[in-house]
Amino acid sequence: MRALTNTHEVTRLLAEWAKGNQQALEDLTPLVYRELRQLAASYLRKESPGHTLQPTALVHEAYLRLVDQKSPDWEGRSHFFGVAAHLMRQILVDHARKRQAGKRAALKVSLEEAVSFQPERSRDLVALDSGLRALEKLDPRKCKAVELRYFGGLSMDEIAQTLEVSPVTVRRDLRMAEAWLHHEMRNA
Amino acid sequence: MTPERWAQIEELFHRAAECGPEGRTLLLDGACSNDPELRREVETLLSCDASAGDYVQAAVRAEVDTVGFPLAGETISHYRILDGLGGGGMGLVYRAEDIKLGRQVALKFLPEESAKDPAALARFEREARAASALEHPNICPIYEFGEHEGQPFLVMQVLEGQTLRELLESRKPETSKSDSSAKSPGRKALELDQVLDLAIQIANGLDAAHQKGIVHRDIKPANIFVTSQGQAKILDFGLAKLAPPVTVIGVDSKGSQGDEGLQGVPHEIEQLPTPDPSLSRTGVAMGTAGYMSPEQARGEKLDARTDLFSFGLVLYEMATGHRAFEGDTGPELHTAILNQTPASARQLNPKVPAKLDEIIRQSLEKEREQRYQSAEELRTDLEVLKRDILPKPVSFRWWAAPAAVIALVLVAAVFWYGMRLPSIVPDLKLRQLTINSAQNRVTGGAISPDGKYLAYTDAKGIHINLVGTDQTQSVPQPDALKNDNVNWEIVSTAWFPDSLRFLANAHPANEDPNTWSSQTSSVWISSVRGEPLRKLRDHAMVWSVSPDGSSISFGTNKGTIGDREIWLMAPSGEQTRKLYEVGEKSAICCFYFFPDGKRVSYITTDESGDTLVGRDLAGGPIATLLPPSELKKIGDFSWLPDGRLIYSDQCNGGAMGVNTPCSFWITRINARSGGLSEKPRRLRSWSGSWMNVPSATSDGKHVAFLESSGRGAGFVADLDAGGTRLVNSRRFTLEEGGEDAIDDWTADSKTVIVIKNRGDHYGLYKQRLNSDTLEPIVTSAAGGLLKSSLVSPDGKWVIIVVWPITGGTTVQLMRVPITGGTPELVFAMRGGGPNFCARPPSNLCGVAEPSEDRKQMIITAYDPVKGRGRELGRFDLDLDYDPNVNNLLVDISPDGTRLATARGPKAPIQIHSLRDQQTQFIRAKDLDNMRGFQWAADGKGLFVHNRREILHVDLQGNIKRLWKCNSDRCSAMPSPDGRHLAIYDWNVTANMWMMENF
Repeated sequence: MRALTNTHEVTRLLAEWAKGNQQALEDLTPLVYRELRQLAASYLRKESPGHTLQPTALVHEAYLRLVDQKSPDWEGRSHFFGVAAHLMRQILVDHARKRQAGKRAALKVSLEEAVSFQPERSRDLVALDSGLRALEKLDPRKCKAVELRYFGGLSMDEIAQTLEVSPVTVRRDLRMAEAWLHHEMRNA
Repeated sequence: MTPERWAQIEELFHRAAECGPEGRTLLLDGACSNDPELRREVETLLSCDASAGDYVQAAVRAEVDTVGFPLAGETISHYRILDGLGGGGMGLVYRAEDIKLGRQVALKFLPEESAKDPAALARFEREARAASALEHPNICPIYEFGEHEGQPFLVMQVLEGQTLRELLESRKPETSKSDSSAKSPGRKALELDQVLDLAIQIANGLDAAHQKGIVHRDIKPANIFVTSQGQAKILDFGLAKLAPPVTVIGVDSKGSQGDEGLQGVPHEIEQLPTPDPSLSRTGVAMGTAGYMSPEQARGEKLDARTDLFSFGLVLYEMATGHRAFEGDTGPELHTAILNQTPASARQLNPKVPAKLDEIIRQSLEKEREQRYQSAEELRTDLEVLKRDILPKPVSFRWWAAPAAVIALVLVAAVFWYGMRLPSIVPDLKLRQLTINSAQNRVTGGAISPDGKYLAYTDAKGIHINLVGTDQTQSVPQPDALKNDNVNWEIVSTAWFPDSLRFLANAHPANEDPNTWSSQTSSVWISSVRGEPLRKLRDHAMVWSVSPDGSSISFGTNKGTIGDREIWLMAPSGEQTRKLYEVGEKSAICCFYFFPDGKRVSYITTDESGDTLVGRDLAGGPIATLLPPSELKKIGDFSWLPDGRLIYSDQCNGGAMGVNTPCSFWITRINARSGGLSEKPRRLRSWSGSWMNVPSATSDGKHVAFLESSGRGAGFVADLDAGGTRLVNSRRFTLEEGGEDAIDDWTADSKTVIVIKNRGDHYGLYKQRLNSDTLEPIVTSAAGGLLKSSLVSPDGKWVIIVVWPITGGTTVQLMRVPITGGTPELVFAMRGGGPNFCARPPSNLCGVAEPSEDRKQMIITAYDPVKGRGRELGRFDLDLDYDPNVNNLLVDISPDGTRLATARGPKAPIQIHSLRDQQTQFIRAKDLDNMRGFQWAADGKGLFVHNRREILHVDLQGNIKRLWKCNSDRCSAMPSPDGRHLAIYDWNVTANMWMMENF
């Protein structure tokens, strides 16, 4: 039987983190990471559409599984996605960094943490991350829009709701941000 | 950067992005006149605008992939894992490169639990191998089994496409994707033609497996792959038995583990297949459980009919978009499967025809005895249904999709599929009459004069179909032929005018249809009333029935090249009389009556070739209707009741590539004086197909014909035991339609040369043994058909022989640098025969061409740069040179000292020493129907390909059979180092069709 993560605990930590408690994030990361890993595996085993795993699907699934939606600490769905998307970004970037490091150190790693030998890809994600960091300083809303779109899998309308702007603005934000990030990643 | 500056850049970026290129320049010129830096920033962004989102997405997705596919990038055994392909019910699937063979494969990891029961694993392996060994187009082959850190995996063919599960899901109307744990939402059903097309293929695969006693036990949409070309492939045969057991309510599922032979349907108690237990327990997905049969749910013995139930569920889902049984938990589903009857498919989707509804209902009977008893029965019903409701033009599949398989993305191939001649008759209707698979292709047939019946033949015998219905009856094999292996032939004019009786020729099955003659044939009569076949005459081949039904024409008395006499007899087989006779070195065939019954036509063959002649039955002068020059362009023909001639192009088996568009034409010939009296009118063209035996109804409104098409595939095998045994054969190039061949090897034995003919273009490629990509040497050259290619002894050139596409015999011998380039003419020839080169240190190359009088073949040495050299030898031909016939087979020994030759398919192989002009014969009993041979690298034997097999023949005449061919176009080429044999073979599909409204 799969160990179910304590949904109440996750919800509480998310709320804590949203309030600015950085320790909550540290506590949260391994819980979500484990969940994501298990979800990734189960998604692949399930007869689900699309061979390629979508972060979108993972975040939605994680939302359903991790968050006690009746909790008084909980401030709403869109808020969760804002948090979860950022967390997903962190987890994936960590994963990519570890893989890069693993490659450099030529470490023999366990199967569970197996580091794949795909330097190009991990570099891509790390480059995207540093692009996003730079973008955040220039234009935080655009950074958030990208995060919600690509790490959270939200639709334009959902992003618009979360950021409290019009969908047209989200489209413009994303177009500008994507072009800018593309350039940053190319030159990384 | 200041926020103001950033805003300025963004503003201009958006405005510029909205304009076209010219407007953009104007805009930027105006906006940035004093600010070149701004312009630079905006232009940089604009240059990164295109597909920027995809770029970001790809970076994220790639990383997510590696979370889910932890082995990506690792090397396991000799497989370098590239990336994740997905996961089935059992485990993760990766795409990997087989480092040894250089091809892409799929690695499927099985759950670790499966390794804990070695007996079960071994059983699975045995069964999977058995299924794989069927080499059935609708079963995904497994290449190998392996283990990595205790986790078993299997190596399979990589397929491009999606599982049927995904195909079904993708037709789901937009719903909230987050709600994945809910019951399967209403989806859109597949289109009826797709349902039938896939279902027939699946049934075909199941039938093949069941016939070998292999039961799948876990048929479900996720285990059926649909390639981009629409080919269905059943995955994971035998795998279900490896699945961890699941507790079944109220039933003790202890299974007997008796020894199961692969032959005979196994009758052991089964464990239930189930998806990953964690999933079923948490209720995320019920997966497989939804496709179990009642006997599976009860834990009973399973047999082939279990697969048919599960297949019924798949069919239901394809036809309606809904699962027949749904439930959130295992027990719920079990109850449903055991006790509930699902809503009829028609209720859910009114477009489902009643017959399909009935087929599904019968498949889903709870009691096995009430279901279809075999996949073949089920398939037959599906085929009949398809035929009844879905008449469709033949050319469809040839235009549907370009190259299918990931491993072989042939960029250059796309245009090859693009050419099609227009249908000249816009309202022409085509209807498929038979739906035989490639395993049992239709060999011929004729429609009855009243259009009611089609009598046709395949490997199983003669069948009569009530045209337009599903009623087909097989004519029982006569007792007299019970022990003989015969091929039946039904000629286009085989029917009597009463549309009740027809004639058939029985030929020995091992005889090449091109060499059929009366000597070994007998004529039989049959009828639609179900009377047994009755023999009319031995040593005869029927040609036609007279329009009044009073007499039958047949050929008899074989001479050197064919039957020399035409006779008539009464339908009883009596009152025989000789009509015409030709000389010993001539032949006469294809005798047909004109509609008035008084004038007749037939073909005479002599030194000048084939001539269609006409004369009065009563005698009188012989008129040439079509001279050899015209007749040789014709593939097959028949007379329409109004006296016109319908014929197909000569587009197979001859100088033309099969992908030359092939047409049916109608013309009128002056039956008295000969020659065309009407310009030929093209009815329709096919590409990649060829047509034979047109037969018309008496009103002339319907023509039935045989349409054939082939797909080739290359293999490479290792030679063992001095070249007398093949081991480790594997698919090398992928299945493709077209006239292709693996023609030679480079000197290092690491690369093969592949030729491809597509319509009037040809291409020449090389493919390394450890690669799955073709490197072009000549990508696409116009105006010729590439008949053969070989690598020059110095390894610098590929020498090719190019035939004119439009007929004629001016053949060009050309050279191309092996590194690629444009073909250059070395010299032209009057016609071509085999072309060959020795291996270094010898630099001898030679080519066979006909003498001016076409009575001899001359073998001339040449150099790819200097051109023609001395004559190596001359061989008299039994028959005048004919480009369509292999009348001289030649190859040179690798050391350049000996020529192996054979004059015709049956003649003994002669070994001529070029040093002392001595000749030695290889006399071996079974060397008939030879199509070609190649010297083995050690010079001690030859690899011979005939219509059926590839053989190794040593110089003493000992024969070893190496490979059984699917088609008569199979050929073999040994590598110079003697370690490998490249084989190219064909799968041919052929069915009867009908044209109307022309």
